[in-house]
Amino acid sequence: MNPTPAARAPGTLIEIRPRKGVFDLGLDELWRYRELLLFLVWRELKIRYKQAAIGVGWAILQPVIAVLIFTAIFGNFARMPSDGVPYPVFAFAALLPWTYFAEAFRRGGTGLVDDADLIRKIYFPRLIIPVAMVTAPLVDFLLSFCVLLVMMAWYGVAPTMNIVFLPLFMLVAMALALAVALWLGPLNVRFRDIKHTLPFIIQIWMYASPVVYPVSIVPERWRFLYSLNPMVGVIEGFRWALLGRANPDFAVMGIGALLILLALAGGVVHFKKMERFFADVI
Amino acid sequence: MKDLAIQVEHLGKQYRLGAGGQQHNTLRDAISAGVRSMLRRDSGTGGRRNAFWALSDASFEIERGESVGIIGLNGAGKSTLLKILSRIVEPTTGVARIAGRVGAMLEVGTGFHSELTGRENVYLYGSILGMSKREMDAKFDAIVAFSGITDLIDTPVKRYSSGMYVRLAFAVAAHLQPEILLIDEVLSVGDLPFQRKCMDFAKSMQTGNATILFVSHNMFSIKTMCRRVIYLKQGQVQFDGPTDEGIRHYEDDCSLSTLPWAGRDHDAWPLIIKDCVITDDDDRAKKVFDHGERMKLRLRFETRRPVGKPNFIVAFVRSDGVACCNFSSEVDGAVLDGLDGDGVIELVTPPLKLVAELYTVHVLVREPGFQKVLCAQIGGTFHVRHDTFDTHFGVFHESARWSWDGAGTTPGRSPDAGEPLLPLADALQLAPSGGLE
Repeated sequence: MNPTPAARAPGTLIEIRPRKGVFDLGLDELWRYRELLLFLVWRELKIRYKQAAIGVGWAILQPVIAVLIFTAIFGNFARMPSDGVPYPVFAFAALLPWTYFAEAFRRGGTGLVDDADLIRKIYFPRLIIPVAMVTAPLVDFLLSFCVLLVMMAWYGVAPTMNIVFLPLFMLVAMALALAVALWLGPLNVRFRDIKHTLPFIIQIWMYASPVVYPVSIVPERWRFLYSLNPMVGVIEGFRWALLGRANPDFAVMGIGALLILLALAGGVVHFKKMERFFADVI
Repeated sequence: MKDLAIQVEHLGKQYRLGAGGQQHNTLRDAISAGVRSMLRRDSGTGGRRNAFWALSDASFEIERGESVGIIGLNGAGKSTLLKILSRIVEPTTGVARIAGRVGAMLEVGTGFHSELTGRENVYLYGSILGMSKREMDAKFDAIVAFSGITDLIDTPVKRYSSGMYVRLAFAVAAHLQPEILLIDEVLSVGDLPFQRKCMDFAKSMQTGNATILFVSHNMFSIKTMCRRVIYLKQGQVQFDGPTDEGIRHYEDDCSLSTLPWAGRDHDAWPLIIKDCVITDDDDRAKKVFDHGERMKLRLRFETRRPVGKPNFIVAFVRSDGVACCNFSSEVDGAVLDGLDGDGVIELVTPPLKLVAELYTVHVLVREPGFQKVLCAQIGGTFHVRHDTFDTHFGVFHESARWSWDGAGTTPGRSPDAGEPLLPLADALQLAPSGGLE
C-alpha cells in the first residue's frame, strides 16, 4: 500500500493531476491568492505613471483633453445635440465609463502576453491576471470622476439622487470588460493578431456607443438593436444618474446584463480550458 | 510509515507537434493551415502522428529530507517533470502529490519589474511566490540584510547591476523557506555567480532537512548534492537508485550522442562519428588514466556527403563543465583533404597533466577555420587519477622551475623540470568559467 505524503499543515498537500472536466474551475484558489491580486493591481498603478513628470496627473489630463477635442469637433463644428446640457459635461459623463471600459478591455486582452515571463516560470492562478487588469483602471476612473464633479459645479449642473446607482453601472462595465478579456486574452496568447486588432475594435465600439452623441439621434427602428450593446445602457445610466437626462431602457439593460453573465461564465470556462497550454505556447 | 514529500504516480505529458498542433503563431497561419487540410483530407491525421510523450508513466517517491538528482540526455523529460511538479504545465496523465511549500529555482527574478524599486519588488515578487503581506512585513529587514543592498532599496531595480538584481531576488526566494526545492540548472540561464549562489543556497537548504529535486547536466554537482538519482530516458524512468550507478548508465548512453548545444538536426550532418575508442599508448582500452599518461583516441567516422578539409577537434571537458583542453587537427597541421566514405582518424595526446577528475570527451568536426559545425558528439568519459592533484590545484598540474637565493641555501634547479609546457597550458584561455577563481 502506498502511504500518501503526510501533510504538514492544512492546505500544504498539493495534488497535481489532469483537469477532470470543463467545470473543474478551481475558483477557490482565486480567493487564496487574493493578496497577489492586490499586488498586481498596485503594480499596474505604480508602473503606469512612473518616470512621467506629472505622474498621476495624466489620469486626469487624458480625459480632459479628450473632452476638449470632442467639444471642439462634435460640439462646436458638428453642432451635435447634447440633451440640453453643456456639451463638455454631456461628453465627459459618457467618457468616464467609456475610458474605463476601453482601458480595462485593452489591458485585459493583452495582459497575459505582457506577463509571459511569469506564466512561463511561476505557478499562480492565471485568472488573476485578467481580473487585475480589469480592476486597475478603476483608480483612474475615480480620479477623473472627481474632475467631472468639479466641471459640473463650474457649469452649475447638480447631480441627481440617482447617483447612488452609479456603482451598479460600473459593475456592468467591469463585468463586460472581464468577459471580453476572458475570451480574447487566451486567443491573444496563441494569435498575437488580437493585439493589433484591439485598437480598431475599441474605436468601432466607441462610435457604436453614445459617447459623442445622444441616443436620441439613433433612428427609432434601430434603437432596440442598438441598445443590445451593453455600453449603451452603461453610458445612458451615467447621464441619467448624473445629469438627470436620458432615460435608459432598463428592460434592454436587463437583457444585456443576462448576456454579459452568460459571456462571463463561458469566458471562465474557455479561459480555464486554454490555460493549460499557456506555458507551452506563450 | 514513510514521511513522503513527493509522490508521483504514472505521470505523463503529451505534446503535439506540427500539423494539428499549437504551432500557428498568427491567425493567418492557422487559417491557411486549416484551408490546406480541408483541401488535402489526409493531412488531418498529421496531428496524431506528431503527438509525442515528453514524459510517460513516471512513478517514484521521495522522502522528506532526500536530495535526488534528475539526469538524462536533452529531451529526456527532465524539465517537463520539473515544470509539472512546479505546476507550470498540467500533466496529461497520472498524479503527483506534494506535501510542503514548494520553491522552484527556475524563476529567480522573473517576477521583478524594472521600473519598481527594490522595496516594491520584494513585496511583489514575494506575493507572486505565495507569501502573504504579513509574512513579508516580518521578513523584510532580514531579506534586505541578506541581499546586502540596504542603500539602494528605494531605487528602481533597472539601475541595479545584474549581480545586485540576482542577490535581491535570491534573498526573497530564500526567505520563502521552501520545504521542497526544485532546481533546474538546465533552465536557469543565469551567469556563473548566479549558478553558484543557487548551489550554495541548495546546500544550505540541505542541512535544513529540505527535500531537493535537482535537474542538471553537470555530473559533478549531481554527485556533490545527491546520493540518489533518477535517470530519465526518452520520457521514462530508466533507473532510480544510487548516484554512481545512475551516472554510469547515463554515461554509457551518452557516448556518441549529440552534444546538447548542437541541436537536433544531426540527421543533416554530412559526417558522423560511429565509434570512439579510448586506449592508452599501448592500445589497452581504458577508463582510468594516471596523471601524466598519454591517451590514444580512435575515431571511426562515416561521411554522408564529401567533406573538404575538415577540422577534427577533440576536447576534454571536466565534469563541472570546464573545458580543459582542445586538440585540433587544423591547429596541429594535420590536413585531411576531401573526405568521402568511411574512415578512421587517430590521435595520441601529450602526457595528460590534468588534475584528478572525471572528464568527458567531446568530438567535433568543423569547417576549416573553426567555422560551421559539421558534427558534434560525445566520445565517452575517462577519469584521471592522482593522489594530490585535484581541482584545488586548478585545471592541470605541471612542475615549475624554481630557483632561490638566500642564507643557508644553494642556488639550484628543481629536480623535475624536464619537458617544456605542453599545449595544456592553453587550457587556461579555453576555460571561460575558469577553475582557478
